[in-house]
Formats: sequence, structure tokens, C-alpha cells
Amino acid sequence: MINRSLSLKLLSAILIFGAWEISSRSGINYAFPTFFESMSALFDMIASGLIFKAYAETLKPLVVGVLISTFLGVGIGVWVGLSEKFDWLVSPIFIIMQSAPLAALIPLIIMAYGIGLTSKTFVVCIMAMPVIVLNTSGAVKNTPSSLIEMSKSFLASEREVILKIIIPSASPVIFAGLRLGVSAGFIGAILAELKITPTGVGDIISYSRMTADYPSMYAAIFSIIVLAVIFLNVLERIEKYLFAGNNKGYIS
Amino acid sequence: MKKILTSLLVLFFLSIGYSTQAKSIRIALAEPPSDELAAFFVALDRAKANGLEYEWTAFADEELAIQSVLSGQMDIGFGTPYSAMQKSKAPIRIIFQLSKLKFFPVTTKDYSKLEDLDGEPILLHSRGGGTDSIANVIEEKLGIKFGERSYISGSANRVAALLANQAKATIIDLSNKNKIMASHGDQFNTLPMFDVDASDEALFANLDWIKANADSVDIFVSALLSVYRDMAKDPTMVRRETNPDGPIGELPEEVLAELDGFYTDAVAGGLYDVDGGGEKAAKADMEWYSKAGQLEGDLASLDINDFWYLKPLNDNK
Repeated sequence: MINRSLSLKLLSAILIFGAWEISSRSGINYAFPTFFESMSALFDMIASGLIFKAYAETLKPLVVGVLISTFLGVGIGVWVGLSEKFDWLVSPIFIIMQSAPLAALIPLIIMAYGIGLTSKTFVVCIMAMPVIVLNTSGAVKNTPSSLIEMSKSFLASEREVILKIIIPSASPVIFAGLRLGVSAGFIGAILAELKITPTGVGDIISYSRMTADYPSMYAAIFSIIVLAVIFLNVLERIEKYLFAGNNKGYIS
Repeated sequence: MKKILTSLLVLFFLSIGYSTQAKSIRIALAEPPSDELAAFFVALDRAKANGLEYEWTAFADEELAIQSVLSGQMDIGFGTPYSAMQKSKAPIRIIFQLSKLKFFPVTTKDYSKLEDLDGEPILLHSRGGGTDSIANVIEEKLGIKFGERSYISGSANRVAALLANQAKATIIDLSNKNKIMASHGDQFNTLPMFDVDASDEALFANLDWIKANADSVDIFVSALLSVYRDMAKDPTMVRRETNPDGPIGELPEEVLAELDGFYTDAVAGGLYDVDGGGEKAAKADMEWYSKAGQLEGDLASLDINDFWYLKPLNDNK
């Protein structure tokens, strides 16, 4: 007997893919392939190994960018949350980064960093870092003062207050920021591959669009969404493992 | 709930009203209006004088313009949708060749002929695009093999990369070739190339739509032909006839000042066919795009009528 949450998830997938299949079969658009056409294109790409080569290329800026954003972002975020001066100095930069229209900035980034891996990693960081920093700093600032007072009355050192009180208490919001940041990083990686130079999955998307191979195009887009979802689930597992006591019920 | 239902109903009837009312033809441009589209807009003005109502939308790139025609959101599109015609089940046909694939290999002084580029990296527009197909055909004709291909879209951007020393060889369009050779002719070479008659930009539409709107298509094609013929005699007519309040007339003065030079060079360079392409262009296209890998299957098995609808052109001969 499969459990209820899994069966609901399957049902929702069947509903969405069924709607995809039906809407395409109804012939609304010649450029919109059916679900099964797209999946068979995806299997072809998997069988030929094309998709793995593409991901080897796409994951480079994505992984580097997400790692930089995670460690640097959480670090800066904690610091911003702890120090008011640093908050004034740094927060505006990230607020601007978050609201800037990235696609319009890409020509500037190309001018400064060229067309290689650096630019693409930079795009991933611009997308991922602000939300991580801002969430982390907000969470740190909102640590219940009673907890901090309690730890001080137990003679905790500054370092212990940060490591044992502030970070665990901020962890749900930090991880919420990480999840948002990582999904933004995925968007950034594909955006960079479509807008700077087509490589990896971005290349499959733009090339199959160019040659009107729409099933492959949708298959590539589908694969990146699946990868992002898997990645987010892994992140949830990590959170569950690291901060088991803090599970507020949203980790599924 | 009632409110939502009412507003849905209103939307539904509005959309019906819109679709029956919209009689003007919807043109999907593959790029924002620029000097290269001046002749096209002159033709649109002439067609309008003959009673054609039109509206245009500029898309960010050719593939979006093609997709908009495939989906029926636009009537006439810009581009060379050969693979879309072959692969999608849409009955899309080309009716007019707007310009030929006249592109030029420009390199640093290290190279003086195409054969020198054997094994050398080259900068192109996009994988599967026009300049990529030129590179494929160069390889096939000369028996060479380019080194790594990298891609930057837009001739002007490739010129910038060339000037910034990020590339040594590229393929760019006529106007950018002229610009770079005029300003930096001492640093770069234009390599001699064979003649190409295949289409770069063509007008295409859904066959059912073409047949249902034969009158509009006829006015449009005849206006285009008249402009292309007048332009062949006197390229400066484009500048003179450009509507100062239209999308081209509103471009900056520096761009307008270069229109005469652009069209004089383009006409002399054979960019435009006075007959709008037709059968000759269709054959050249099929040969070219087969070699370039955008059309699949044996060349002999390809039928012109699957790609071109020649009637409007033939009626206006």
C-alpha cells in the first residue's frame, strides 16, 4: 500500500502531464509537442549520452556559483544580522542585486568578465546570493532575545551563543533562503547559457529551437526542472539531518 | 464564484469579438526596426496606400517570430523556417525572399584566404543559425575543418569581439563588414568567398491563411516587388520614401544618414532579388539548407511546393 502523500503526488503529476498531453493533442500550437513526444526525446538524449555531456557543462557554473553563494551568503548574512554597522554597509548592495533586472545587466557582465565560466558563475551568484544573505540576516536578527539572555546567564561565550543559539534558531529561515537561492541559481545558470554563450543545457534549448526540434527543447527544459526539484529535496534532507529538532513541519 | 464566471464570460466574448474584428494582417518581425528593414517598411507603406491594413510586432529573435506564426498568434513572419517547415506539422510556406545570405568572413591579417582557416577557431552567430550553415558549406566545399566554433549573436557584437581581440575570425553581414573595413581596414581582411543565392530572410505564413487572405497577400507581394525593382534602379529611393513618422523615420539621424550608403552597397552586393526569389531561390535554399544540415533527407526527394507557395509571386510577374 503506497502512502497517501505519495499517491497524492503521483495524482498531481498525472493531472499536469495529462493536461500537457491533451492541450498539445488539441492542436493549439504546432510548436508545442505532446508530453510523450517530449519524454521520448528525453530518453533519446539520455540514451545517446547527450544530456549528460550537457549537464557536465551546465553544472560547472551552477555548482560553483551555488557553493559560493551558500557559504559566502550565509556567512555574510550572519554577520549582517549580528552587526548593525555591517548591515548598513552591505544590505543595500544585496537589495539592489535582488531587484536589478539581470537580463539587462548581462551585456555589462560580458564586458567586465568576458564570455567564459566567470561570467556565468557570476550570474548564478547574482541570482542566488541576495535572497540567501537577506533571509539569513533577517533570521539572525529575529533570534528570540530570551534564548540569548538564557545562554548568557549560563555563561556562554560569544562564539557559543552564535553556534549553539543563534544559528540553530535561525536555521529554518536560513534554509528557506537557501532553497529560494538555489532555485534562483538554476534560473541564473540557464539564463547565462541562453544569454551569454550557448553551452550545456542552454545550448540544447537554443539549438533545438533553432532547428524546430521542439520535443527536444521541451525535454531539456523538463530535465532542468526535474533536476532542480531533486536538488531542493536533497537540501531539505540535509536540513532535516542537521537541525532535526527544528523541524517546523514543512519538510516533507 | 458568480463574479469569476461573469468575468470569464466577458473575457470569452471579448476575445471572440477581437478575433472576428481583427482584419489587419499581423506581421512578426524577427528584430526591432533597423536600417535593414527600411525597404520593407517602404513596401508596407505602399501596400497600405493600396488598402492593406497591417500591424507589426518585433520579436527578440527569429525563432520566436517563427513560433508565433506556428501558433497562429501572428499571420506573416520573418526568417527562414526550413527546419520548422520540415519538422513541425504546420503548413507553413515561404512567399517572398527578402534578402540573400550574403555574409563575409572577416579575419585578422594572419589569414588571407578561407583555406588558411583550416583548424582555426571561428566566431559565429548561433549553433544551427545562418552563419553556422555558411561555415558548414565552406567546410564542405573547400574540404577544410574549422577549429572550435564559439557563438555570439549579432554581427555588431562579433565585430566588437574581433576588435577586443577575443576572436581572430568571424563571419558578419554586409553593413558590419563595410563598417569594420572602413574603420580598421589596416588590421583585418575580408576573405574572398563564393556566391550564395540562398535566403537569409524570407516572408512566410500558414498556407491556409495565405489562401484565405489571397487579396491582402497579393497587395503585399506586389508592393514588395515594386519597391525591390525601384530600389535596384535607384537605391536612394528608400531614404526618400521613408515615412518620417514611421518606425524607420524615427530612428536616430545618424542611422538615417547611412541608409543611402547601406542600400547602395546592398544592391551592388546582390543582397536583394528583384523577383522576390521564387523558384530560383527555392532551389538554392533547398540545396543550401540541405548541405547546412537544416533540411533532412535526400535533396532530390525534397519538393519545392512543400516549402514555397509561388502563386502570389507568379501572379505579380
